[in-house]
Amino acid sequence: MADRRIGLTGPPEQGRTTAARAVAIAELLHLESSNLLELYRKRESFIANVISGDSRLVSVPPPSSQLETRDKLWCLQTALLHCRGLLERAIAKEDEELGSQMGEYETLRKMVKERLLSLVNTIGELIKAVDSPAMVTPTLNDSLEPDNLTVFEMKLWVFRVFTEVDYWAKTAVTVLQALPKERVRISRLRSTRSSRR
Amino acid sequence: MITWLLLVSLFCNSEQDGNFKDNGVYRCGPQNMTLSTSDNIILLTWQDDPLCMSVREKLIYELEVLIADELVHYEEVTVEPEQIRATHSWNWSSHLALECASHKLKLRSRSGNHTSQWEQEQTIPAGRNPSKRPEVYPRDKVFQVGSKATFCCVLPMGQAFKNLYISGHDSKNWEFSNISTQVHTLTVDLNRASKTSCTNIICEAVNDKKKVVDNGACAYIGYPPDDRDLTCETRDFQSVDCIWKVGQDTHLGLKSPTTYEFLGRRCAEGYNGRCSHKMRVDYAMLNWTLTAQNQLGRVKLIDRADLFHRVYMLAPQEVKVSAVNSSIVRLDWEWEVKLYETLNIKCQVNISDGETHAVKEHIGDGLNSVAINDLIPNWAYMVRIRCGTTQHFWKWSNWSSSVEFNTMGDVPDALDIWMQEKDNQTIITWKVPLANQSHGDIIDYEISWAQSSERQVKANVLHPKHSFALSLDTMEEYAISVIARNQNGSSSPSTIIIPVLSTESNGVKPTRIQGSNGGFNLSWSASPLASCGYIVDWCPTRGPCQIDWLRVPPSKTHVRIFSKNFREGVRYLLSIHACTQTAPLLLEKKEGYVKEKLIQDGLFKLLKWKPRDMDVEISWDPVAIQEQPAFIHGYILYCWDHNNSVTYISTDDPQATSLTAKNLQVSTYRFTVKANTSVGECGDTSITVTLNSMTDNLIKAVGITLITIFVLLCLIVVLCYRNWECIKLKVYPPIPMPVLKDKWMTTLTKQSSHPIFVEMSHHTEAELTAIPELHCKSEAPVKDYADQENISSPSTHGSHDKPIEKPVTHSTTVPCQSLLLALSSSRGHLNPSFIQTSPDSAGGSDGYKPQEQRLYPEEDTDNPLPCVLTYISLPQLPSE
Repeated sequence: MADRRIGLTGPPEQGRTTAARAVAIAELLHLESSNLLELYRKRESFIANVISGDSRLVSVPPPSSQLETRDKLWCLQTALLHCRGLLERAIAKEDEELGSQMGEYETLRKMVKERLLSLVNTIGELIKAVDSPAMVTPTLNDSLEPDNLTVFEMKLWVFRVFTEVDYWAKTAVTVLQALPKERVRISRLRSTRSSRR
Repeated sequence: MITWLLLVSLFCNSEQDGNFKDNGVYRCGPQNMTLSTSDNIILLTWQDDPLCMSVREKLIYELEVLIADELVHYEEVTVEPEQIRATHSWNWSSHLALECASHKLKLRSRSGNHTSQWEQEQTIPAGRNPSKRPEVYPRDKVFQVGSKATFCCVLPMGQAFKNLYISGHDSKNWEFSNISTQVHTLTVDLNRASKTSCTNIICEAVNDKKKVVDNGACAYIGYPPDDRDLTCETRDFQSVDCIWKVGQDTHLGLKSPTTYEFLGRRCAEGYNGRCSHKMRVDYAMLNWTLTAQNQLGRVKLIDRADLFHRVYMLAPQEVKVSAVNSSIVRLDWEWEVKLYETLNIKCQVNISDGETHAVKEHIGDGLNSVAINDLIPNWAYMVRIRCGTTQHFWKWSNWSSSVEFNTMGDVPDALDIWMQEKDNQTIITWKVPLANQSHGDIIDYEISWAQSSERQVKANVLHPKHSFALSLDTMEEYAISVIARNQNGSSSPSTIIIPVLSTESNGVKPTRIQGSNGGFNLSWSASPLASCGYIVDWCPTRGPCQIDWLRVPPSKTHVRIFSKNFREGVRYLLSIHACTQTAPLLLEKKEGYVKEKLIQDGLFKLLKWKPRDMDVEISWDPVAIQEQPAFIHGYILYCWDHNNSVTYISTDDPQATSLTAKNLQVSTYRFTVKANTSVGECGDTSITVTLNSMTDNLIKAVGITLITIFVLLCLIVVLCYRNWECIKLKVYPPIPMPVLKDKWMTTLTKQSSHPIFVEMSHHTEAELTAIPELHCKSEAPVKDYADQENISSPSTHGSHDKPIEKPVTHSTTVPCQSLLLALSSSRGHLNPSFIQTSPDSAGGSDGYKPQEQRLYPEEDTDNPLPCVLTYISLPQLPSE
């Protein structure tokens, strides 16, 4: 049973640095996505419950505390990859319907997109640092692609995408901040296992 | 015949009656009605009933539109008899989205007093919402700002309406109504254009779980195009270029962008306000038409013009400079459009040296070269050119690309020379030629001077020195010339005549002038002698001076003097000279400050005060001009008493050196002297003075005198005490010891080897020789001092409290000073002593010895011997 536990393969310092960087990026992403969501809500005069009751766009289960670190990271990365795809589509759709401009909103939108990509890559590094088999990159569910929407429906969908990104950014902060404790536990278990041998 | 007529009449009536049904209803009605909708427009088509063929007069169709059984529109369509049997159509745009509610159309015909039955059609019934959310209509529709729009919210079954609103609009003019329980409408004046994209209309409902459910629609609220000012022109006669002012943002974005058409062809980049089409341009007055349109409207712009009057030339190409010399160059260029060579063209040549630029105009047929003259030798220039048609000038072309060139060098320009009298010398000075005057690198200057009767003397001054001092005979007139030399040669000489010692400067008194904006605005009276103008020179009134000057043409008698060397608070002397054919003539002198400054506190170095009864005169030293950063117009003396109440005395005399405060009280005063200038009172210097009464002064004077006398006396006493020996030596010189051959004296001499001197200054030698006894004691000194007061009491031995048994009846007191003999080598000191009448007396040193002197131990040779006046009792000489 102990042999199935995962550990870190890379240099401990490197893993720690990557984890800290991931936390920092996730915190930045959460801040920026919150700002984007608020800016969009004000810009479109949406009230908070305009999308209440709608199903989630990203159907990845949130990483629970029962999961191993590797699985948690994998869930998180999968969800963020979904978010990234959705955000790219949302941006393209908005530009297509409403025209592309370059204001505060557009700048923030671009920033969140890039930050999201950065976080996905950093979590990928973290997953590599865990001695796990190669993961299959999740494919996005194309059925989520909105079609034949009115402009208002498109706006609602964009709002849902931003909400989803914000949700998963927050989740990422929580999961990644909990990582160092996990690693301590793993190290301790590993040392116990070594002594038993 | 009558019967026939009746039959015809009956036939006719029966024909007419054929249009009526049995129940009397008019049978000529609409048929084959079709109803279609497009966007929000209802289109109805129908045909006439065949029975209508017999109608000879115009047929009227009545149309009614009902929404929720409420009449919202009525209209009549007239069909002329010749149009009967044709298919008729009618369209109408509903104010309400067709999705909101079904629209019922009723149609009937009328002819004269007869009307057909209503035929009706209905749009696809709306109001049924299969989704779980409310639906808002119309969706994504374009509205014009200022229009009124109605939006509806169609609720799913089971949901209750909560709210319907449009974002970014004031709810003041909103009108709510409901068509049914499931359909609610909002009518609003659209007075604001959509901001970023489209405006949201949101409907809120409450579902059966009491949860708020939202949905909405988007509306594009904007403006129709309002572009204006179309202007068309040609550049190459092969195309037409039009420009116009693009109107305000229509706020319709990609939903309905403004499209442009010029001469029936699309302008892809019309949003930039320009459009171009290839076409051959001819001499003709034509209308050039542009249309701009979006969903909200269309605007047509027309410009009527002959484009041969609208030639916007292309910039000259391949501009080259050739034939460059010191002041002239030739400029050549080429035309991209060959047709330009046939036009009469005018061109502007802009020539610049980096700091200044000049524009010269040239005209010619097919102009493609010009000569530029009046250039500065040895100078860098940049030139560019632009052109336009001379006839029907429209506008200048763009500037050509710039071409740079340098002109050739030349001899320097003549120098600007002036002179200055300084320390009995004449300083000839000249302005160092500027780069645009030197035309090359200046090597040196050559000065030549001569009296009228003598040969010329020359001297060289190396660049950049620009002055030369001459000691000239002030009784002679001199002509002084200066030339500058560079590698290209010498400048023409500049000459100045130095007159015979001029005294006119002493006769011209300077007047005051006020500077302004960092300089002086100078004006003077015209002089008929000023044949070659005026020269104004200036220098600080005091201190080192590097003279500067300015030449003014004869026609001007005023000039603004400005120099970067001017400093605020410095007094300048400006002299105006007439430039004559001979020596310059001083006309006027002026002095002033570019800007007067406040004088700093403490202007008066030393304030003195002098009391006069109850007046106090405050005086100061004259203020030097260097210390005056402003003209002093007078002085003010402020006088503060101990209550801080102030009085002042002032003078308008700038030469004053004192002011007197009068009728003061016995008190302490603070006096402050200020200089009065045009920039205010300044240079504050204060002094505090305490005034006393006359009695106080007298007591003080007496007290001081007494104290002074006392101190002097003390000083004298101390000095006398300290130098008593010297004084005594001076006053009482030592008297040689008398030589005594008597036996008692011999004995005594044997006992004491030291000589004995008796000082008796006020006795004659005879008297001295009569002294019978005089002994010096060589024994150890006694400790006590002799009491001078008791010297009159003869005491031979014993205590002083013993009564004197045998008073001396013939005793005489003689002062005797024991001699100061520093006989350090001898054992004994010369000590005046009393005559010991009994050996016992030697041991009674503790007893009363009024005549005894203090004696010092012999061992203490370092101590000075005190010298005490001693009186000696002389025995009565025997009568024998």
